[in-house]
Order: sequence, then structure tokens, then C-alpha cells
Amino acid sequence: MSDEGEAASDEMLCRRIATRDEGSFDLLVTRYQARAYRIAWSLLRNAEDARDVSQEAFIRVWQGASRFRGDARFSTWFYRILVNLCLDHKRRGRWWTRLVMRDDAGDADDSLVARQPAPGPDQGELVSEAQRSARLWEAAHRLAPQQRAAVILYAQEHLSTAEIADVLRIAEPTVRVHLHRAVAALRRELAP
Amino acid sequence: MSIERDDDLTSDERELLARASAGPAVPEPRWGEYQAQLRARLAARRTAAARLRRWWARPAPIALSFGVAAALLLFVLHPVDRRPDLSALDEAVLGARLGLLEHYRVVERLDLLEELDVIRQLDRVQSQQG
Repeated sequence: MSDEGEAASDEMLCRRIATRDEGSFDLLVTRYQARAYRIAWSLLRNAEDARDVSQEAFIRVWQGASRFRGDARFSTWFYRILVNLCLDHKRRGRWWTRLVMRDDAGDADDSLVARQPAPGPDQGELVSEAQRSARLWEAAHRLAPQQRAAVILYAQEHLSTAEIADVLRIAEPTVRVHLHRAVAALRRELAP
Repeated sequence: MSIERDDDLTSDERELLARASAGPAVPEPRWGEYQAQLRARLAARRTAAARLRRWWARPAPIALSFGVAAALLLFVLHPVDRRPDLSALDEAVLGARLGLLEHYRVVERLDLLEELDVIRQLDRVQSQQG
């Protein structure tokens, strides 16, 4: 890919993908792969599912690039595809998938505690802090899927409430309600 | 979070959400492998789509499609009457009982049963006749 290609905006790359330009597709994948995978993993909490769903999102971009309207940002359009795929995946998830995912989340909690620094003078405080984070992480997993998506897009991807509303195709006040309810649920979880 | 936000959350609430969504480190895949797998999936999808397009472009599927469409059209325009023919059923039942008609004379005389007075005095009538 040339310097011109590297400098091209996402929207420009998407228009080139519509003309079946594979170089632009590769560049867009490189730009978004980490974000796409991170969002999918945060929503699904399963490495394999995150890989499958994020790749599927890129395939949808290739297939539907001609339908991308230039009036919105590419990132908004892409996040919408990705989040919808994640929510659909969760909806379709069978009971055993959910069980496995819970186990994965349990492993994640363990690793969170295990990754704390070696024992020092304030070990108790650190462990307690790690436990609080683990509880928060678990509580976030129990939020309603759309609520969780709103939280991840807001706190992890730093999208504004208006952008989240655009991605989730809901009203902006609804996004605010989701965030407030998520805060309330997380606080309840941390309450002694 | 240092980013200016135009929502109505306090900084504590934002921090809570950030901590809840941060969690453990995301186990990142090897990106080279990831891209190779994506390219393979995309190629497979394109091949499948192309194969489907080629299949539909052949004469046999087109003829088959027209055949199915014509059959559907005929079915819609001339629906088969699937209601049972009650008169035919009636005739069949009557046909099974044709044996009764052999004794039609007897059946005809059963009308006499309605004349209870006559039945009661049957002996007398017969003797009078005799």
C-alpha cells in the first residue's frame, strides 16, 4: 500500500473496497482488527468467538461496502455491524456455550488476581483491589447485552453517547439510561 | 478518563464504568494468522457465491425454476377442489345397503305398524276376512 493509501480516511478506503480494492480492505483490517477483536472479546468473553465474529464483521464490510453511505463515519457503521453480530451471537448461544463462557470468565478472574505484583508490604490492599476489579468485571458480564455494549463503547472505546446511540440504533436518552442503570448495578455489586 | 464527555455522569461513575469494562488483558491473537484466516474465509465465501451464481446461470436450473413457477401458477389459478363430495359419499353408503331394496314389499307394508288399532285387532280382522 502506498503512502497515499496509508493516509486515506476510513471512508475513502471503504469506497475503494466497494470497487473491490483488496489493498484498501487489508489496510482497513489492519486499522480496525485490534479494536474489533477487543470489542468482540469484551462482549463475548471467549477468544475463539471473538476471532470468528470480528472476522465476520470484516467480511460483511467487504460484502456491503457499496451500501455504506458517506453521511456517517465508517467507524460508526463498522461498530454497528460488529456489535449486532456479537449480540446475535449471544442470542443464538446455547446453554452449554454460556457455561463454557462462564468458566472462561472465572479463569479471567483468577488471572486478574494472579497478575498482581509480588507480595509486598501492602499485599492485602492489592488483593482486595484485585478482588473488587474481578467482581466488577463479573458484574459487567451480567448486565443486559445492550447495556453492556453501551458500557464497552463508552468506557473502552470512548464513544460519545450520541455515537453509541447511532451504533445501537437507539435514542440518545436511552443510552444515558443504560449507562446510569449499569452504574447502579455495578455499585450494588460492590456494596458490602 | 481525561476525555471531555458531554454526558451527565460524574467522574466517579465514569471511573467505575472504565474499571468494569477494563477487566483482564485481552488475549490478542497473532495478527498475521488472524489476517490469513480472514482472507481464507473471504475467499471461501466469494467462491461459494460465485459457484451459486454459475449454478443458477446454467440452463437446467433455469428450466427447473420456470417449471416450479409454472406449477405454482397453475395451482394458484386452478386450485384443486379438495373438499369431499358428500353426494358421492351418500351414494356409496346407499349402494352398500341395496340388499334392503330386495325386500321393498315388506318395507312398504311396515307402514301398517303405524296403524296400532289395526295391529291390536289383527286376529279379528283376519278371522273376519277368513
